[in-house]
Amino acid sequence: MAVDEESDTSPRNSTGGENTENKRNEGRGEEERAFECNICLDTAKDAVISMCGHLFCWPCLHQWLETRPNRQSCPVCKAAISRDKVIPLYGRGGSKEDPREKLPPRPQGQRTEPENTGAFSNFGFDGGFQMSFGIGAFPFGLFASTFNFGDPVIRGHGAHGTNPANLEDERFLSQLFLWVAILFIFWLLVA
Amino acid sequence: MYSPRSEASLAQSCTLQRQEKRLQKELVALIKEPPPGVVIDGESVGQSLDLLVLSINGAQGTIYEGEQFQLQFRFGPKYPFDSPEVVFIGTEIPVHPHVYSNGHICLSILTDDWSPALSIFSVCVSIISMLSSCKEKKRPPDDSMYVKTCSKNPKKTKWWYHDEEV
Ligand SMILES: [Zn+2]
Ligand SMILES: [Zn+2]
Repeated sequence: MAVDEESDTSPRNSTGGENTENKRNEGRGEEERAFECNICLDTAKDAVISMCGHLFCWPCLHQWLETRPNRQSCPVCKAAISRDKVIPLYGRGGSKEDPREKLPPRPQGQRTEPENTGAFSNFGFDGGFQMSFGIGAFPFGLFASTFNFGDPVIRGHGAHGTNPANLEDERFLSQLFLWVAILFIFWLLVA
Repeated sequence: MYSPRSEASLAQSCTLQRQEKRLQKELVALIKEPPPGVVIDGESVGQSLDLLVLSINGAQGTIYEGEQFQLQFRFGPKYPFDSPEVVFIGTEIPVHPHVYSNGHICLSILTDDWSPALSIFSVCVSIISMLSSCKEKKRPPDDSMYVKTCSKNPKKTKWWYHDEEV
């Protein structure tokens, strides 16, 4: 209704009309923004909330956790964050689908993921297989943090290093160590 | 009906769309309301989604007052999960202890401390505050060495971040 009235005004007033329209859009934006994912900036889809209270789409947060598996922190406040410590939000009229059937599976509230998730075979999805192993009965996740060589935590004064070390290489190296560790465990079990 | 493979590629294309959408949202908001001291040429923005050049004006009352610098952002396919590549370009490179004469910037949020909740806006604000808090115009001590040996991409540099205030 209000929009119609504004379009009826003479061309002289049209700029004023646009301004009020803009203001109204901004006001509405504020309210909607409260439910926007902190990563994609869109209304959160398959929403999860961290212990520190920050809202994300599960696919967005999952991708961030996979990006830095050795240093998982909240994108907003840097608090510790992990797959098991986020709570899914189920709004009214939201999806009733089993979240595990989605890629990537959204973690469930207050219980650990059943072991069969690996059967869905996340091939093709970035780093998906690594996650499947991490939630099994075997604490492989431990190795990921134990063999955490590639993580630059050293801060300090001094000249800037010019060593062109590549982050990809480092990640590859730490994954290599992880697999060597896993093979070693299996060898121990078999022998 | 659906093989896991096709679902995976579907998820991946959704991811791409989401990332492109986020960049577009950022650009629209940035053109509408750039951070103070930042000038954006709205016409050049639409041309390519993976490259953005904007101007930064030295803030009033700082040693860079009256100077203008060109800041270039390059967004990889993994943005915002991966940080943008941010460098000063052109002939005017701010003389600052954390800015090399080839335009590379030593700022931890551009590599190690990047987070997908950061944005073009917040990077601009950080760079402006880095410039504004500087009291003396000088290059990093290892400037000539670094400029000779570094990769073209500053993200390939292994930075040692200073804890200093500047
Ligand atoms: Zn999201
Ligand atoms: Zn948080």
